[in-house]
Amino acid sequence: MKIIDRIHKSIEAIPAFPATGGKVAELLSQADYSLAQVANLIENDPSITANVLKMANAPYFGATHKISTMEEAVLYLGRENLLRAIQTAGISLYYQKGSPGYFDHASDFWKHSVAVALMSQILSKKITGDENAALYTAALLHDVGKIIVGEFVRNEMKKISMLVSQHMSFLDAEELVLGINHADVGGKIAEHWTFPIEIQEAISYHHRPDLLEKEDNILPWIVYMADEACLMMGIGSSVEGLTQQTVGASLKKFNLRMKDMERSMVMLSDDLNSARELISIIYS
Amino acid sequence: MKTSNDLKDVIITCALGSCIGVAVYDPVAGVGGLLHYMLPDSALDEKRAKENPAMFADTGIPLLFKSCYALGAQKKRMIVKAAGGASILEDTSFFRIGQKNIMAMRKIFWKNNVMITSEDTGGNYNRTVRLEMATGKMFIRTSGGPMKGL
Repeated sequence: MKIIDRIHKSIEAIPAFPATGGKVAELLSQADYSLAQVANLIENDPSITANVLKMANAPYFGATHKISTMEEAVLYLGRENLLRAIQTAGISLYYQKGSPGYFDHASDFWKHSVAVALMSQILSKKITGDENAALYTAALLHDVGKIIVGEFVRNEMKKISMLVSQHMSFLDAEELVLGINHADVGGKIAEHWTFPIEIQEAISYHHRPDLLEKEDNILPWIVYMADEACLMMGIGSSVEGLTQQTVGASLKKFNLRMKDMERSMVMLSDDLNSARELISIIYS
Repeated sequence: MKTSNDLKDVIITCALGSCIGVAVYDPVAGVGGLLHYMLPDSALDEKRAKENPAMFADTGIPLLFKSCYALGAQKKRMIVKAAGGASILEDTSFFRIGQKNIMAMRKIFWKNNVMITSEDTGGNYNRTVRLEMATGKMFIRTSGGPMKGL
């Protein structure tokens, strides 16, 4: 079977995304509900319960004292942060095995993903004045394609390295050698999970937002800049290193200067400290 | 940033990206240190530079030297090596932090009459830097590659 067919088959084989987040969001949007109802709904999904509780204690989510029951978590986190913690725990299930081929350790892959998610929120606040939940999900998932592509990249590394040494971007080299790149594979995984189209696009175009001919979706641009910043900061470095294309139009598009980017990097190093509980849910 | 006068120590900084690792070593005093800075200029955020001077070249490099002097190192004996400052591909217009970090370091060393013994900067790859206190040897590993002496 050709590599591209094997990749498509692997995408189809990925288990469905946990429905808990959607169910909790639905319950929270109703006129009345009890803390116990919400807590029970989360605790019905044992694959995420422990990690949601752990993350509820992150200063990043506003924790000021020890939270030890799910009801407390629901009470103190608030809607947005609770949904974010559930989303993060759900996504982490797919990152447990990491992406050998790109990353030495699953924890590096996860740390990079969380850092890009945190950075996307810093940039979103700067650009739009507000955080953005869809952007957070897209940023956390931007490299999800690597959970599948890693194995093939490892096998074809010689060919890819040769192209990269001739100044081709890692993304283009993947596409040439494997028939598809990790960003497009990620977009297809998000489609398989029936995530909204704007999230699928943000993942597919996270290295080349300039190629998406849709002015109104700013998500790919912000994920792109957040990823670029984390690559420069060396957070969770992978085999690609910094061999991705610069899209110079990104700063101009939002009237940002390089200084804004540098300030955001300083803020990110603070956020990474207060979000240790999010990073530590994958430790191998 | 970490400094040491313990010969058993090995100081490591991982995945430099556009950041720069500066290693210094005084073989007579057996004192050395490794700084990992992220940005060129502390004027960006002076409050932050006070809390964490190692974040910027212009506050971090003096701190590295002063901390080594405090342990008995002398400027004239110090061996200085540097690595990092990588860039994204075709990094000509905007995301020039790697280049700016390299220039900031060179400027500071030039002004203070410090010679860099050897450096491995630029390129598009990540580096991990290791300083062995017993020998003063500095090693670099690029993503996936072997450890090499600098």
